[in-house]
Amino acid sequence: MRRLLHAILLGLLGAGIVHIVVLLLVPEFTERDAWSRLAMASDLYKMTRLDAEAGGAPVVKSVDPLFYAAACRFDLAEGMVRIKAPGSVPFWSVSVYDRNGHNFYSFNDHTATGNKLDTVVLTPAQMIDVRRELPEDLQGAIFVEAPIEEGIFVIRAFVPDDSWKPTVEQFLDQSSCELQDY
Amino acid sequence: MLKTAFFTLLSLAIAIGGGGGSVWYALQAQSGVGAISIGQWTAFPEIGTQDADPYSKARVAREGVLALGKAEGLSFIAERDAAGDELQRQCDYKIEGSFPTARFWTLYAADQSLGVVDTGKPRLAALQSYQVLRQPDNSVIIAVGNRPAPGNWLLTEGFGRMYFVLTFYDTPIASSTGLSDVTLPRIVKAGCNA
Repeated sequence: MRRLLHAILLGLLGAGIVHIVVLLLVPEFTERDAWSRLAMASDLYKMTRLDAEAGGAPVVKSVDPLFYAAACRFDLAEGMVRIKAPGSVPFWSVSVYDRNGHNFYSFNDHTATGNKLDTVVLTPAQMIDVRRELPEDLQGAIFVEAPIEEGIFVIRAFVPDDSWKPTVEQFLDQSSCELQDY
Repeated sequence: MLKTAFFTLLSLAIAIGGGGGSVWYALQAQSGVGAISIGQWTAFPEIGTQDADPYSKARVAREGVLALGKAEGLSFIAERDAAGDELQRQCDYKIEGSFPTARFWTLYAADQSLGVVDTGKPRLAALQSYQVLRQPDNSVIIAVGNRPAPGNWLLTEGFGRMYFVLTFYDTPIASSTGLSDVTLPRIVKAGCNA
């Protein structure tokens, strides 16, 4: 009897340890995180619609039904990435995520010059290079310094009602996510 | 000898089963570590950031969530009404009260997976602040149900559990200081067509 109690106690202690280990390993080994889902849907530097409206199941969960969203994956080890979207919509906001889906930078249309989305994501080292001589066409861009390599860039745009759908759709379809030569 | 093996196996079974099961359970629960509750509404302001607790991080990884950034907005989820009962899709509710400062907000009825409720009609189970009618004191009354209602009407349909997701965009409450004196609307059950 005492041995049974001993075994159960030992088991509970082990359960605590397993709980912590599993919890910490879930982010490392999951194949269902945002990066993996996007990787299944499209390549690096390719804007992909996240909402179900574009056909098929939504790539990434918990997108507001009154929003359209698009995302692209990038790798700063290959160079800095520039994200642009022409046109104007009632509201847009963007977020930069690292490989694990942690949000580390976000801003919305009030931050941008003339409400135009024009952003460059780059590492601090690349930033130093760019600062030395700022190219003409990057003058109006918002620079996001990111101490990461792989990451995800997400654009969200508000669709107040059905009449805005074509405009917002066009805004996201024309958005680009490109390696910027420097 | 056989007894020792049995007890070892028992210990291992409890450790692995209990440990794994408790993680699974903790990740299923809607409330949990890092949650901030205001009335019936719950938010996870830290979710999806580096500062998040391990439970939030695991949830983000497992569900493939790309959480809203601080400059984007903040989402609140309600799973119970003011009386403490679980929200049901077959019931009518009234959401009333004032909303905190934000450029705009959206409200939608969600199913278990927090996707918008499928109404089977062109009308979405969602409302946004530019389209709602307001009371003289700037508060908002929203009728929730599957029958049209005067004023603001949020269409829901079907049976089973329901959640309300209320998201404020471009709002000062998303920054950590703003959450202390925020009041959110009340959710009152108006009746059920069971």
